Amino acid sequence: MKPDVGTVLDVVAGKLLVEIAPAVEAGYKRNSVALTGLLLGMVREEWERGAARRVEENAALRALFGRAARVVTDSGLRARLESAAATREQSYLISELEKGNQVLRALLIELHAHVESLATPQARALEDEIWRELVTSTERRRFALAPF
Amino acid sequence: MPELADGIAAYAAHRMPGAREVRASAVERIHGGASRETYRFCLHWREGGRELERKLILRRDPPGSLIETDRAAEFAAYRAFRDSAVPVPEALWLESDSKWLEHPFFVMEEITGCEASPQAIGAPPYAQHHEQLAREKWTILGQISAADPDKLGLTSTLPLVTPGEAWRRELDHWTRVIDEDELEPQPIARAAIRWLRRTPPPPPQRLHVVHGDYRTGNFLYDGDGHVRGILDWEMAHLGDPLEDLAWSINRIWCWARDGRVGGLTSRENAIRIWEQASGLRADPKALHWWELFSSVKGIAIWISGGREYQAGANKDPVLAFSSIWLTNSQSRAALETLGKLS
Repeated sequence: MKPDVGTVLDVVAGKLLVEIAPAVEAGYKRNSVALTGLLLGMVREEWERGAARRVEENAALRALFGRAARVVTDSGLRARLESAAATREQSYLISELEKGNQVLRALLIELHAHVESLATPQARALEDEIWRELVTSTERRRFALAPF
Repeated sequence: MPELADGIAAYAAHRMPGAREVRASAVERIHGGASRETYRFCLHWREGGRELERKLILRRDPPGSLIETDRAAEFAAYRAFRDSAVPVPEALWLESDSKWLEHPFFVMEEITGCEASPQAIGAPPYAQHHEQLAREKWTILGQISAADPDKLGLTSTLPLVTPGEAWRRELDHWTRVIDEDELEPQPIARAAIRWLRRTPPPPPQRLHVVHGDYRTGNFLYDGDGHVRGILDWEMAHLGDPLEDLAWSINRIWCWARDGRVGGLTSRENAIRIWEQASGLRADPKALHWWELFSSVKGIAIWISGGREYQAGANKDPVLAFSSIWLTNSQSRAALETLGKLS
């Protein structure tokens, strides 16, 4: 698609913020137009990275699950971790990558809760690794406009 | 908005039997929080041979919002603090019957000549008054915390809880919101919730009034650096006063992105002002618990708005914007409180 999606969104967002919002009556409508401009700016950022961040995160979670399977004590959870670690992307459509990401992140919650209940040094090391992944997950999702 | 103006006038005439020729003019929707539709208008009427008018605010329930809140609690809180040191607009009428304006609503006085925006406060003429605004903001919060909810009549309006169970009630509530409204798994929120349940805070000595959303953006300030009105009491409840203090200093409200809480002052100064005004001590362990809780609550609010928008129940762009803009930042704030950000 040309002009590029990013360019189009940048231009539309800029027009909403700089040209159209000031021309709309002050109050709710003007704020809504300006908010929509800012929203498009974030949509542009997410459009650019959307596939890459999901591919990266899904791979990181599968690798983590592969290591975690050797630490967990629950056999059912171990089987699900091994199964999830062996999965691969079937499609690079963002909607499909997102479905896979949600399955993996739900399993991460289960794994994290289980690891917290274990008292071994291996469990603490795995817990540290989970926290590092969670920190990285917020960096992947961070917007330039974000307050923090 | 002629239909809304006619509806407002008909309702006002119903509430003011002595008034004649009641009409509403200059009806205009304004941004007044994402939980209700907010309109300003001017009410005109004749009474006792005189032409009268008053600028008012209408807060109407929307089809969907960031948070499902109790308008009766909000109305009661405004009334309770009227004529106290806590500046609030006068609350006039509370109406639960949808026949008047399609949805339940309440009407209150408009405090004019003020700004509420958290962005505007960082620019002239307000920026030069940050320390004064901070002093007033956290002094007023201290006064809310020091108030006796029984004397204010709020123990008969707001649901009671024992001091020892205040934390659990709030955590249960916001956990339930996440359970019901999340559009994707929230591993950071879930980890925070588990930590909060494992590590309950020491209880407050008694129940206090909790505003529930006390932050820059929810009070009116003027160009001389004075706080003129505390707004958005829709999440008011009884509980631990540290809940309000923790929410007010949450990282997410560091609008200037420089660590100043509420975009105004240092965290330590805000806590010190609140302690002086309330006569209470902000126990560091308890405050830490409530700070982490604040981020769980924030995540719940942002994802709840996102669900409303995605479901089409409410297409106000502020819902999509807040959800996209703040959910991840709020998760990072939780990580920071847990000491996981280097």
